[in-house]
Amino acid sequence: MKVAVYWGCVIPTSQYAYEMSVREIMPHLGVELVDLDNASCCGTPVQSVNMIAAVYLAARNIAIAEKMGFSDLLAVCNGCHLSLFEAAHLLNNDEKLREQVNSLLKEEDLQYSGKVKIWHTIDFLHDMVGEGAIKKALTTSLNNLKVVVHYGCHILRPSSVGTVDDPENPQKLDRLIEWLGVKSIPYPEKLDCCGAMLMLSHPDAAFTFTGLKLKAAQDTGADALIDSCPSCQNMFDVRQRSAGATTGAKLNMPVIYYTQLLGLAMGIPQEKLGLNMNRSPVDEFLQKALVH
Amino acid sequence: MNSSMTITDQMTSKKPDAELKRRVLSKIGEHKPYSCYQCIKCTSGCPSMKMLELKPHEIVALAKAGFIDELINSGIIWACATCLKCKERCPQAVAPVDLIMALRNLAVDKEAKVPESFLHDLSMILECGYVSRPQPTITRKLEKIERDKLNLPKFKECDERFKATFMKALEAKTESESQH
Repeated sequence: MKVAVYWGCVIPTSQYAYEMSVREIMPHLGVELVDLDNASCCGTPVQSVNMIAAVYLAARNIAIAEKMGFSDLLAVCNGCHLSLFEAAHLLNNDEKLREQVNSLLKEEDLQYSGKVKIWHTIDFLHDMVGEGAIKKALTTSLNNLKVVVHYGCHILRPSSVGTVDDPENPQKLDRLIEWLGVKSIPYPEKLDCCGAMLMLSHPDAAFTFTGLKLKAAQDTGADALIDSCPSCQNMFDVRQRSAGATTGAKLNMPVIYYTQLLGLAMGIPQEKLGLNMNRSPVDEFLQKALVH
Repeated sequence: MNSSMTITDQMTSKKPDAELKRRVLSKIGEHKPYSCYQCIKCTSGCPSMKMLELKPHEIVALAKAGFIDELINSGIIWACATCLKCKERCPQAVAPVDLIMALRNLAVDKEAKVPESFLHDLSMILECGYVSRPQPTITRKLEKIERDKLNLPKFKECDERFKATFMKALEAKTESESQH
């Protein structure tokens, strides 16, 4: 199966572990990823500045996939996924807007016609690849682990445009984890926001969001927090220390991408999954997961 | 007592600006704020309410009353974390977050006080197509790592044709705006 992949800004400029782990796991699942030619920002950071320009940016990336002949586009970042998904919804339902955006796209010989289906890592693995193919690719059993999950706001809401999973009671990431023989613990703060988008205007408040959620996750006694959004990972993993300092919580929570966890269960070496770049204390977790 | 048909700000005696109100509401659907019956479901689920006292239902009420200038010049519209719970849960499909985004767009147009980072992101996109160029990162063992050393495809910046088109997109107006 050949699928176009769109990485956005955050992943290829700082969250390298997500890119590496996605690139590593997909061939094991019979998926060949093809990068978009000349992609650009998805438009999310521009939504606050100019909505038309934001929709144009989103449409541009979809139109590139269309021009390259793909009918499926994997947008691995939550923010990018929503931006592309929401723009597609707007363009499919508003002819005038579509004409306006298409006249801009024409400058680069591109066109949006609404033929490309947009996926996120979670629904792509859950719905398109599926349980059978994932279980078949597993070679390493992960010891009795229990984890908590974080979906990230932008793959769940708004359901009015259609989303990756149920907006109030998502289960796909939990199931993906359980297919690896790992237990996902329910907790009341599961849907809480990581605060990343507030980094642009209120960083202290953003760290408070992050710290409170991490503390709640830690209080469950889980071995790790599993996520699949580079912006959330940036808050929970890279900025864990600042989040702890802001909230006065002693944080010590391993934070790992789902694709890294899946890669471990496929027997892929840790370095290839970028696990040396997770900044949260994942060593003990890895020890517990892998040493039999 | 004030006897006029519109609300007047009692502190400043200022009347709402009908034109600004029209500009904002046209971006989200004129009827939307009028469907709001102030059930406060948005505010009760808003994470920025706890942290920054953002009250989406008040923003809807103020926009409906026409206090747009006050809203775009107050910092409160930048307190939204775009978690989208208000949009998901509103029983009347008002989507306060969409209103907040429309107000932010207008704040930029009117050169009100906009947090620097948003404009920085914009200038980066104009410069290279992305909000950033690849940054060095560090491992847990504090070794510095560059993207180039990770066996990943080369990062490509956007060309001049993209930049010119993006500039055009930034100058584009919506249908309803261009009628005036």
